Amino acid sequence: MSMFTRTDKAPGATTGEAVRPPETPPVSAPPPAAAKPVQAVAQPVPNTAVSRAPGVSVISKALKITGQLESTEDIRIDGEVEGDVRAVSVTVGSGAKVKGTVYGNAVELSGTIEGKIEAEKVVLTSSARMSGDVIHQDIRIESGAFIDGHCRPEFGKNQGKTAYSTFRPAAASTGLAGQTKSSDAGTA
Amino acid sequence: MSVISLRDMTDAAIIRAAGRGGTAINGLFSMTIPPLRAFKTTPRDPKSAELPASHLGEAVTAEGFLDTDGDLHIHGKVFGRVCADRLVIGSSGYLEGDVVARDVQIGGRLSGRIFALSVTLDSSAEVTGRIFHHEVTVAKGARIDARMPWRPPSYFETLTQLPEPRP
Repeated sequence: MSMFTRTDKAPGATTGEAVRPPETPPVSAPPPAAAKPVQAVAQPVPNTAVSRAPGVSVISKALKITGQLESTEDIRIDGEVEGDVRAVSVTVGSGAKVKGTVYGNAVELSGTIEGKIEAEKVVLTSSARMSGDVIHQDIRIESGAFIDGHCRPEFGKNQGKTAYSTFRPAAASTGLAGQTKSSDAGTA
Repeated sequence: MSVISLRDMTDAAIIRAAGRGGTAINGLFSMTIPPLRAFKTTPRDPKSAELPASHLGEAVTAEGFLDTDGDLHIHGKVFGRVCADRLVIGSSGYLEGDVVARDVQIGGRLSGRIFALSVTLDSSAEVTGRIFHHEVTVAKGARIDARMPWRPPSYFETLTQLPEPRP
């Protein structure tokens, strides 16, 4: 006497399939597309582009991050970051503020950094305000930039390629990095 | 040099610290935990809707506290507390920590607690934890391993401190 009746069609062949359906529902093949209709129902404001991951990461002026930020791609900061930033290319927009060290291959500063820059190529634009040391290999300073600190052309001289290269293998070793890479290839 | 990052701390420790507010963690750098952002239950006025949205791409890993009055889109990994007006976790996104927002839409993975008036879980969502909500929409296929307590809007309006996490 069973209270529940199973609806398996053929017990032999489809049991494996019957256990699994939630994992691979046919609609989940293109997740962003499947997500759209739900979003439209819940959100009166149509945000059609939100589900697609943009190429560059943006910390907008309304966002404040207290903590670390790492990326294996480019980051644009227009808001406030209290902590270290590591990325391939970091752009600190005018009005943005970073308290901490900015590591990267290329750093362009138009806002404020209180801390340190460690990068191969550093550009300080006319609105830049830099309080702290700049460790670089190649620097460009436009007229009007403010620097309170030392500029030392020592990037990459102490350890292999500075701390920047140390986080890359760590990020690649995690499972998610592999996942994102494959989905990247799909979108590209 | 021994370095303790936020990721090395237990979730509970972060959540407890975040709930208390204003306590310093001596991690990679000494920092003060920002207090909880005031919760807005009313939809944004057009002025603040102009605030540009923040995007964290797939390549991004952020640890710590993310606070914004505008939109936040997470496609990468975030460890820590997120306060936003509207939070979207894309299908490749992963968030470990608490969320305080007016509107939350999840298409990725979340491990932690949600405090939001309106919660939308897409079919690709995977959520573990607790979902404090006033309205919730769950798409077919979403994997939810969570309690979903309903709360009146006044609960969110008076939310100045996150409750201690319970097992």
